[in-house]
Parts: sequence; structure tokens; C-alpha cells
Amino acid sequence: MIQLQRVTKRFGSAADALSNVSLRVDAGAMAFVTGPSGAGKSTLLRLIAGLERPTRGRIRVNGHELDRLSARAIPRFRRSIGLVFQDHRLLFDRPVFDNVALPLEILAYRRPEMRKRVRAALDKVGLLHKETVNPRTLSAGEQQRVGIARAIVHRPVLLLADEPTGNLDPALSEEILALFDDFNRVGMTALVASHDLELIGRMGKPVLHLENGRIEARGGASA
Amino acid sequence: MRPGRRLFDALPAWLDSHRDAARRSLGRRLQAPVLSLITIAVLGFILALPAYLWVLLDNARALSAHVDHDPRIALYLDHVDEETADRLQDALDDDERVARWERIDADTALTAYRDSLPDPELLDWLEDNPLPDVIDVVPASTQPDTVAALRDDLRALAPDAGVVADDEWVRQLNSLHELGLRILSVVVALLGLGAVLILALATASELRERQEEIAISRISGATHRFLRRPSLYGGVLTGFGGGIFSVILLLVGVALSREPLTEAAAAFDLEFTLRLPHAGDILGLILVGLILGWLGARLGSGHALRDAP
Repeated sequence: MIQLQRVTKRFGSAADALSNVSLRVDAGAMAFVTGPSGAGKSTLLRLIAGLERPTRGRIRVNGHELDRLSARAIPRFRRSIGLVFQDHRLLFDRPVFDNVALPLEILAYRRPEMRKRVRAALDKVGLLHKETVNPRTLSAGEQQRVGIARAIVHRPVLLLADEPTGNLDPALSEEILALFDDFNRVGMTALVASHDLELIGRMGKPVLHLENGRIEARGGASA
Repeated sequence: MRPGRRLFDALPAWLDSHRDAARRSLGRRLQAPVLSLITIAVLGFILALPAYLWVLLDNARALSAHVDHDPRIALYLDHVDEETADRLQDALDDDERVARWERIDADTALTAYRDSLPDPELLDWLEDNPLPDVIDVVPASTQPDTVAALRDDLRALAPDAGVVADDEWVRQLNSLHELGLRILSVVVALLGLGAVLILALATASELRERQEEIAISRISGATHRFLRRPSLYGGVLTGFGGGIFSVILLLVGVALSREPLTEAAAAFDLEFTLRLPHAGDILGLILVGLILGWLGARLGSGHALRDAP
């Protein structure tokens, strides 16, 4: 599903944000990326999501050669992935339902089907009763779950999450990671960046440890 | 569009998506009504000025066309010998371009002039009749070109005669009208460009407010076209509003200037009423508003989306 070959990313004249990184995540697998802040976790996820282009090296995601993908082909590629951010990035000018429906709107779903899918996604994260409220009124944990519902509502083949538990207390964090585990069980490939080593350890999944833009350690089989 | 879906299935979804974009765009305008109204007012003012000038010009042209006026050519024979005068009269008899002609000799002319004066004795101190013999020619056609050709031919026939066609003022009015149209088209081009730029600016600043939504949509795979769509609907809505507003301004302007213009025309012995713009003119004005609105939104969104993260 994800394959990086000696990928380097440099922003301007700064030091390499990622240096010579190679990794592989098979379809249907779930893996974690850990490391201190500034280690390159976000850059790695942004490269895989096609939000950045590598300075050197090759990236293959879901059959697309990202380093060669034309600007026109990028939107279609992005529709096959779901992204979860640490800061949720919800839109406060519209209710929860509309936030979650955004990817379906882009995919031009018709109303009845859209309603069904949004409700299913909200139900999955336990927020069906909040569909009409403004996300501003929700707690941090609830906001994060709305962000997750938005990331999975269009049933992407790949779910990328950048520090999804960063602002949450341990109980909520565990709940969120359990959700990702559920999605993975139904076949969604997942790559989650987190610095919560203890929690990750309990999940029993492959772990990549990044430090200063390099992979310093690997745990598990498929990563 | 999801791959594999047929056009037949995709069309309603595409229409849904357009309806959503239009509705959202309208909603955004209703959320900030003052700003939207200001933009609409600016466009209305920009459109109303050239439209008003056009109505004036159109009326002026109608005036020159409607003045019921047979062009005439006067041949003054004071420096013409009798032989040439005869030749001239024979030519006039034969020329198909001449409807009729009449020779008015100097004495008849003076008598007629004397009779028209309130104090005819005034002319008694004249020793001689200063008026020349005149041939008054009525051309068969009122076409300015035909009249001018006839005038030139007569001039060639009797180089010493004073040949004057009295359609000069119509020609002058026509050329003034032409000039007016030229000036108007320059004004229209400049104001139109200004309007497009103002609307582009408004669109770009609106898109800046939607920056987060655009960034999230991009991440979710939105195309340029999808992101631009609400702006284009917004531009068309603003254009429509501006067009309607300019029509109102135009009608008010015409109504207010009708009476003073009629009075001014009366001072020149002209019967003139400023006519209201036709339905076609009004629709045209609204259409111009729509087009300018669309162009401005297209320019502004193209620019803003290229720069957006």
C-alpha cells in the first residue's frame, strides 16, 4: 500500500526534514510512526498524502507513483485517503454534519446516500446525536472524533493520522486508537504518527521510530 | 466523480453539487449583506453611467432621423451667366435624382422677404436688390450620399454658382453621434475593466476568508473547478444584482432628465421627448452585469486559488 525508497525531503536551505527514508506498509496493515517533535513524522505523512513532493527518492501509494503524479491527478489520488490532524481542522462555520459530509460533497454524492454515510460515520465515532450542533461547542475529544468521522466517511483505502491523540487525556487517547484499530480490522490500511510510546506499545503493531529525519529503529514485521 | 459511474447517474449528482454551490454562495452573501450590497451598488453605478450616456446618444440619433426634413440644394446664380443657367436648368430637368426644382428670381425673393419683415420700409434704403437669383432643388432621395453626389455634379456643371446643400447639419449631427459612440465605447471598456477588477478583488478576499475550508477540501481531493464553483455563482449573483440596480438608476436618471431636456430642446424649436430604454436595452444591461460578475469572479478565484496553500 505504501512504499518509500530512499526518500529525502528538504525545505529550502534548512537541514533535511527527512533523510533517505525507506519503508513499506502492506495493504490492510496498521503501523505507527513515533519520534520527538521535529523528527519528521508530519513531513512523512504529508509526503504520503501527496501534500508535499519529495526532494529525492520514490513514493508509491495505493498504486500511484507520487513523485511523478501530475497536478491534475492529485485530487483523484487524495480522494482515496483519509487524513486526521492533531488540531482536527474542523470548519466552525457549519454544523458537525456538514463537516463530515465535505469529502462526500467533493465526490459528488447525492443527498440520500450522503446522509446515510455521514450518519454511519458519526454513529461509528459515537456522535450521531451531535450532527446538528456547531463543532465549536464540542469537547476536544469530540472534535477529534468528528475529524475522524470526516476522514473515514468516504471509506478511504488508507487512513493517515498525525498525532490524533496529541491533545487528549489517556482514556480518550485509548478510545481514539481503538477506533483506528476497528477501521483497520475492516480492511483500512492505517498509518498513525504519535509520540505516546506507552499506548502504542500496548497496541502490538509495527512501529517506526524517527529521529532527526532518519529511521532509527523498527519494531514489528511489516514496517 | 467516482470511477465507473455512468453519466446518467452522475448528472443528478453534478446538478446537486451546482445547486449546493449556488445555495452556499447565496447564503454567504446573506450572512454579510452590507458588504454584498456595497459590491452590487458599485457595479450598479459603474454600469448605469455608460447606459445613461447610451440612452442620450440613442435619442440624439433618433432625433436626427426623425426630423422630417427634405434635403434641399440651393444654387445661387449671382456669378452665373444666363447660358450656364439655362444649361443647369436643362440638366435639372433631365436628372432623375431631382424631384422638382424652382427658379426664384431676385425680385420675387426680395418681395417675399419684404413681406416677411415687420417693418418693410427698412429695405427701402437699398439702392439695388442684393439678393441673387436662386434655383431651389428638391432631390428625389433623402440619402445624404445621393444628395452629396448631386450637389457635387451641379457644382461641376456650374463652377461659378454657389451650391449649398442644407443637409449639412444632419451630417454634422451624425458625425457627432459617431464620435459620441466612439467615446462611449472607450468609457465602457475602461469602466468594464474597472468593474471586473473590483469584482476580482472582492472574490479574492472572500476566498481568503474561506482559506481553511479550501485547504481541507484540497486535502480531501477537491479540484480547482469544485473550489471555484461557489465563487462563480457568487460573481453571477453580484452581477445580476448590479445589473438590476443599474437599471433602476438608469430609469430614475431618464425620468429625472426628461423634462429639462424637453424644455432645452424647445428652446431650439425642437420637439423632443427622451424615450425610456426598451426592454431589450434593460435585458442587455442585466446581461452585461452577469458577464462582468462572472469574469470578475473567474479572474479573482483563479488568482486566489493558485496562491492558496
